[in-house]
Amino acid sequence: MTKHNTTLTVEVLDNNGSTFTLREVCERGDCHAEFIINLVDYGIIAPVEEAEEALQWQFDVAALSRLQKAMRLQRDLNLNLPGLALSLDLLDEVNAMRRDMARLEQRLRHLTGE
Amino acid sequence: MDFKDYYAALGVSESATPEEIKKAYRKLARKYHPDVSKEENASDKFKEVGEAYEVLKDPEKRAEYDQLRKYGARDDGSFQPPPGWQSASGFGGGGYTEADARQFSDFFEEIFGGGRHGGFSGTGFGGGGFRQNMRMRGEDVHAKLALFLEEAINGCEKQVSFTVQEADQHGRVMPRQKTLKVKIPAGMREGQHIRLKGQGAPGVGGGEAGDLFIEVELAPHPHFTVEGRDVMLTLPIAPWEAALGTTVTAPTVSGKVNVKVPKGSTSGRKLRLKGKGFPGKHPGDQIIVLQVAMPEQHNPEAERLYEQLAELEKNFNPRSKLHV
Repeated sequence: MTKHNTTLTVEVLDNNGSTFTLREVCERGDCHAEFIINLVDYGIIAPVEEAEEALQWQFDVAALSRLQKAMRLQRDLNLNLPGLALSLDLLDEVNAMRRDMARLEQRLRHLTGE
Repeated sequence: MDFKDYYAALGVSESATPEEIKKAYRKLARKYHPDVSKEENASDKFKEVGEAYEVLKDPEKRAEYDQLRKYGARDDGSFQPPPGWQSASGFGGGGYTEADARQFSDFFEEIFGGGRHGGFSGTGFGGGGFRQNMRMRGEDVHAKLALFLEEAINGCEKQVSFTVQEADQHGRVMPRQKTLKVKIPAGMREGQHIRLKGQGAPGVGGGEAGDLFIEVELAPHPHFTVEGRDVMLTLPIAPWEAALGTTVTAPTVSGKVNVKVPKGSTSGRKLRLKGKGFPGKHPGDQIIVLQVAMPEQHNPEAERLYEQLAELEKNFNPRSKLHV
C-alpha cells in the first residue's frame, strides 16, 4: 500500500468541463473506434452537444465511465449491442429510482419525526 | 489455505451436467455482476462464481478438482494440495476464455498454476512479455466516493483508496491497493466527477499513466435532504408559533440562522433561505418545510384554552378536501 502524505488537488469535471475526443475515448477504453460508433448508434453513450461548427465528437466523463461499464457487462454477461443498450437503460432507471426512493424515504422520516 | 467449494459457489450438485453448470453460472453472473447488483459483497461473489465456472465448465479441470476435493478437503475447511501436485490441464499463462484470471484466488492458483500471472486475461497472451515491448497508456480508474453533506458543501480533505492493475518487475500484472489524500473542493454535488491526472494505473513501456476519476456520492443526512442545488429541511414549529408568527433558530449546513416564521403558517409551507444551499456560480437555497408539531400532553389549563379555541374556530373544517 502506498501512502502519500501530500494532499492532492483535484480537477472538477462538471457538465461544461473537460471532454474527450473519440480518439482519446478509444485509447482510454482500449477499444476500436467502430465499437464506440456502434455504442453511439445504439444510444448507449452519447457525445455532448456541440456547436454546429464542431467537426468531431466530444464525450464527457460520464460517457467514459459508461463505456467502462458497457465493456464490463459485454465481457462478463456476453451481451449483444441491443441487449447492452436495454440493460444500461434499465440500470439507469433502476438506479435513479433507488436514489429517489432513498431520498423520499428520508424525507418521509423527517416529516414523521422518526 | 481454505478449500473452495466450487459446486456450492454455483449452487449445483456434484453430479450436475455441464448444461446445469452453465445455466447456474449465467444466472449468478447476472445476479452478482458488480454493475448490476446492489448487494454489499457482490463483487466478491461475482469473482467466486467466475472462478468456480472457470473450473467446472472444463471437463479436465473439473475432474482434477473432483479428485482434489476428495483428497484435500479437511474437516476444518482448510486445504493442502497433495505433495508434488501439478495440474495436467496446462493453464499457466493464458487460455482463459471469459473470466478475468487475475482475480482468481490463491486456492485456484495453487491447483491450476499461474493463471493470475498472464499479462492479459482472456486473450491468450500468457506470461506478460507482450506488454513489455509496447508503449501503452495505463488504465483509468473509475471510483466512487461518499461524502457527508457538510463535506460536499464546505469542501474537505479525504483519503481515497482504490485498486490499480500494475505490472511488477517480472511483467506480472497484479492488483495493488493505492491510497491518496485528496482535497475535495466546496460545492461538489452527487454525480459530479473529479479527476486526478496520472493517478490511475501506470503506463507500460514509457506510456502515460491513466487517470483516477472519482464520482461523488452523498451519504444520507439525519436532518437534510438534497434536491439539485437546494438543501431541504423539515422544521417543526408549535401551533401557536404557526398561528402568531415568530422567529425561530434553524440549522443550515454552515451553521445556525434565525428564520422568521410568518403569521398564519401551515404545515407544508416553504420558506426559502437564499444562497444557503450548494455554493457555485448559481448557488442553491435552503428550503425549509414547516411542520406543525404538538405536545403529546396538555395540562388542564391548556385543554380549557383549546376548548375555547374550538368554539371560536368552529367553522374551520380541516377535512374539507375529503368532503366529510
